[in-house]
Amino acid sequence: MTEICNVVSEQPVSSLSQEHMERERRAYEERRKGKMRNRKVRAAAAKTIIYAILALYAAVIIFPFLVVITTSLKTYQDATHIPFQWIPEMGFTGVNYKTVFDYNPQMNAEMSSIIQGFVNTLLYIIPPTVIGLFTSSISAYAFSKLRFRAKNVMYAILLGTMMIPGMIMMAPQLSIYDMIGWIDTPLPLMIPGMFGAAACVFFMRQYYVGIPDSIIEAAKIDGLGFLGIFFRIMVPLSVPALLAQGLLGFIGGYNDFMGPLLYLGPAELQTLQLALRTLSSTFGKEPNVVMAACIVALVPMLIVYFVCQKFFINGIIAGGLKD
Amino acid sequence: MDQENRVFGNEEALPAEGAALPFGETAGSLTAAAPVRPHRKRRVDQEEIWGTALAAIPLIGFFLFGFIPLMMAFVMGFMDFSEAYGWSFDGAVLCGFDNFIFVLTDPQFWQAVLNTLIFGISTLISLVLALIIAYLLTRDVKGLAVWRIIFFVPYVCSTIALTLMWKEMFNPAWGIINQILGNTDLANGAINWTGEPTAFYCMVIIMSVWSGMGYGILLYSAALTNVDQSTVEAATIDGAGPFRIFFCVVLPTISPTTFYLLITGIIGLLQSFATTFTLGSSLTTQSLTIVYYMYNYMMAYDLGVAGAAAWVLAIFILIVTLIQFIGSKRWVKYD
Repeated sequence: MTEICNVVSEQPVSSLSQEHMERERRAYEERRKGKMRNRKVRAAAAKTIIYAILALYAAVIIFPFLVVITTSLKTYQDATHIPFQWIPEMGFTGVNYKTVFDYNPQMNAEMSSIIQGFVNTLLYIIPPTVIGLFTSSISAYAFSKLRFRAKNVMYAILLGTMMIPGMIMMAPQLSIYDMIGWIDTPLPLMIPGMFGAAACVFFMRQYYVGIPDSIIEAAKIDGLGFLGIFFRIMVPLSVPALLAQGLLGFIGGYNDFMGPLLYLGPAELQTLQLALRTLSSTFGKEPNVVMAACIVALVPMLIVYFVCQKFFINGIIAGGLKD
Repeated sequence: MDQENRVFGNEEALPAEGAALPFGETAGSLTAAAPVRPHRKRRVDQEEIWGTALAAIPLIGFFLFGFIPLMMAFVMGFMDFSEAYGWSFDGAVLCGFDNFIFVLTDPQFWQAVLNTLIFGISTLISLVLALIIAYLLTRDVKGLAVWRIIFFVPYVCSTIALTLMWKEMFNPAWGIINQILGNTDLANGAINWTGEPTAFYCMVIIMSVWSGMGYGILLYSAALTNVDQSTVEAATIDGAGPFRIFFCVVLPTISPTTFYLLITGIIGLLQSFATTFTLGSSLTTQSLTIVYYMYNYMMAYDLGVAGAAAWVLAIFILIVTLIQFIGSKRWVKYD
């Protein structure tokens, strides 16, 4: 190898060919620079296109909300005006929100139906969410860290229950709740959830499996019992996961429609979603009022989402990537 | 998961001997000396009780509110509720396969199935679009968190509110969509989204894609970040272009996510109800879904037909799941 190199370098080169080589080299470098520049230009163009598509999609997501917000601040004439105006002719007005908050189909009710619905929703979903989270996580702790004979069988059954579509049980559940007198009470929405949810057990178990056994062995030696280990070690170590699951449960309950629709007849028991639907059919001809009601129903959940989005998004990703 | 369970299984068999436990020193030191054995045994028993009891809580819940209704659903489909009082079983009599025959020969039911399938187009569209957006998000764009937050907003919004929002925007006479399309004159060929079947289907599909994409984007972007970069580089060196890399390297790697999204998407679709129920348009035929069909019969106190329809729905879901499981062996790559 070195010999060949020496031979090449020692060969006498004429000044002409040297000049030629120099020119070639320069041209080559020019081309290379050009290529690099091209590549840079192309990369920049690709980036621009990517940002343009993302921005377009973001606009598609945000656009309906903007339309709804402006509509909710318009008078009826402006809301149905052609062409659409972002800034209404007669100016913005808050009167639709007043209509929404005053809407009270039963004159004897203490609160307007939207506020009543909101209060009811919170009353119905907070206890099952909190208790269900507790039972799910303590059972996940048993499935991940305790040893008992029936574990694998029980876990298989639990996972199997996730495969059963809930709608199949809709009619018999209605019949059972009717027999035990739970219709027109919030109990069907609350009690089943308190036993924990299979998906939540699954998620929390995945999380607990990651907690090293050495910590638990150490705690055992320090004299902690099974419950002690759960409360003193597992719970503090899994706060983000618990929050994520709690939020998912909360949002699911808040937006649930089928359950309340089936089980809650009387107006004073209705949830926010039902109240929203009743209001929308009463004010079917007044889009400005209906849009204001939508905003009122959406805002609490959007606030929760924006405040907790980090836990929330991580929870979804972790919950969705099963195995 | 299997691996880990197997380890636990071994351990269960072993503690009496106190020999080699998977968790090295700690467990070994606890059980090595002979006098400790009875103590250890007592603790294992307690663990058995606590473990079974704690793990049983969700199963008890399922037994009470899932298993019993499931068995009842099975019986219900074979019963005639026309003489029954309310939603109770009093007065209901067995009637063989009558309800199933009624459901399967009811054109309304098949209309509901057809509608569900048409709405199902949205599942496929949102899957493809979500993959594209998620792929763009992996091309190290700035502000990833912000994009994600925006794209995920529809997921947390209530179906009822979103449906009312879109219904207003699709209003044929003054809605912003027809205004953008430039024709709000119904007498003059403006699209009647809430009154004309094809337009109605399109409206529902657009709404579903819009609100369903966020979930797909989130899961896809998580899956795409797990794609092995060295494989991608190897493919680049071998001269594969960006499209070739996408279809031959990236797509097979994320196939489990696609599979998961398809299954959950289709099962969710078969159970859809709230959207078309809230739309409440004049198109009662087109807004009927399988669950809506069941709901109508439940409200008419005819639990037999509702139960039979539920079983047909369950069989559909089972078939979809089975097809996908069999299909997944062919084209899903788990590693």
